[in-house]
Amino acid sequence: MLPEFNFKRPETLREALKDYSSENYKLIAGGTDMIVEMRKEKDIDYDILDISGLGELKGIKKEKSKIYIGALTTFSDVFTSAVITKEAPLLKEAVRNAGSLQIRNRGTIGGNICNASPAADSVPALVALDAEVNLVSSDGERTLKLDEFITWPYDTDIKEDEILKSISFKPAEYTGYHFYKLGRREALAVSRMNVAVLLNIKNGIIESAVISPGSVMPTPGRVNEAERLAEGNKPSGELFEKAGVKVSEIMIEQSGIRWSTEYKKPVIEQMVKRALIFAAGIKT
Amino acid sequence: MKNINVNFNLNGEDISIDCEPAKTLLDLIRDDLGLKGIKRGCEIGECGACTVIMNGEAVASCMVLAPQTEGANIITVEGLTSDDSLHPIQTAFIKKGAVQCGFCTPGMILSAKVLLDNNPAPTRKEIRIAIAGNVCRCTGYKQIVDAIEYAAELMK
Ligand code: FES
Ligand code: FES
Repeated sequence: MLPEFNFKRPETLREALKDYSSENYKLIAGGTDMIVEMRKEKDIDYDILDISGLGELKGIKKEKSKIYIGALTTFSDVFTSAVITKEAPLLKEAVRNAGSLQIRNRGTIGGNICNASPAADSVPALVALDAEVNLVSSDGERTLKLDEFITWPYDTDIKEDEILKSISFKPAEYTGYHFYKLGRREALAVSRMNVAVLLNIKNGIIESAVISPGSVMPTPGRVNEAERLAEGNKPSGELFEKAGVKVSEIMIEQSGIRWSTEYKKPVIEQMVKRALIFAAGIKT
Repeated sequence: MKNINVNFNLNGEDISIDCEPAKTLLDLIRDDLGLKGIKRGCEIGECGACTVIMNGEAVASCMVLAPQTEGANIITVEGLTSDDSLHPIQTAFIKKGAVQCGFCTPGMILSAKVLLDNNPAPTRKEIRIAIAGNVCRCTGYKQIVDAIEYAAELMK
């Protein structure tokens, strides 16, 4: 048994927004983070609004050159989606091992984002794709960039009466991609550090590079300094090593030296290097 | 706290029950409906002992609030066959020595069923991926993978 609460299951998004703005509710979708949270408490001082049944917030579609992923789309649905497989294989890779199958079948992409766990698997890939979050409240809608939406570990810029409706992005232009994930046990361990990269190589020269680490910086975001370093050059192991070192420098600049730095620094350097080597398809 | 009426189908039978919202689907099935096949393990979604099939997918029932089951189709190990006979996956687990204490077995079997329903001839790698969310502390996974491979043959 969990601590006690009242439970309501609205039928439509409209009804959900109304309930959400008037009472002290927390939202539950797939429940895979929320129930673990609730289990830690002896008492909880909120009620539960179950939005898991809202069809309006489910599914993946392409509209006017943008891809929209409904906030309640599960990891399994993202993974098997033909649109994602074709247009955003980087995201497909990122959710491949996001928890066990049992978790991927329930956990939603919107829940993952709103919890803003630094270890969220989908976030670095979505940030690499320059994704936006589309929020809705009874007052209307607004759109924010994902990396600005997540403001701190476990904290976002969402307003009290807002619900995340969808995540959207334009398919990126790239010649290679890679999602590198470090975990303890592949299927389950909440992802430790990871990095999503995209490379666009034309005539042997890197035209553009995207490097988006997860669980490395305090908040998700691309490392522009390392991207600039790679751009305009010929892909090589040496170059990618430098890019990795740049990422770790920026990490230390942002987070300072911590007990974990001694471990994280060489690991992130190698991860970035390897991800870029894979994405470039070169041998070293 | 107000009880919630929940309607769903469990092993082919329509259930309508008033339940406390603070119950998980695991609590509801094991404690209120008395089906002891699913096991209470970690209760944080990590062990797979509480696995059920929900609308055709393997799901950890400790991660679902009971009232979230409204309208769903749930299968537990008790619902694998309609009479006392064994399901081929169960036969295969016995034949291949894939059961020791049995705590993980119902969950393993349900994960295997979802796999075989969608992929009748899986590779060993596909089997391992399908049961990656089910932890076994005694048998060892080799016998379990053998059993699922054998079950696929029996179900041909
Ligand atoms: S009891 Fe549900 S996953 Fe362990
Ligand atoms: S048989 Fe004992 S846990 Fe698997």
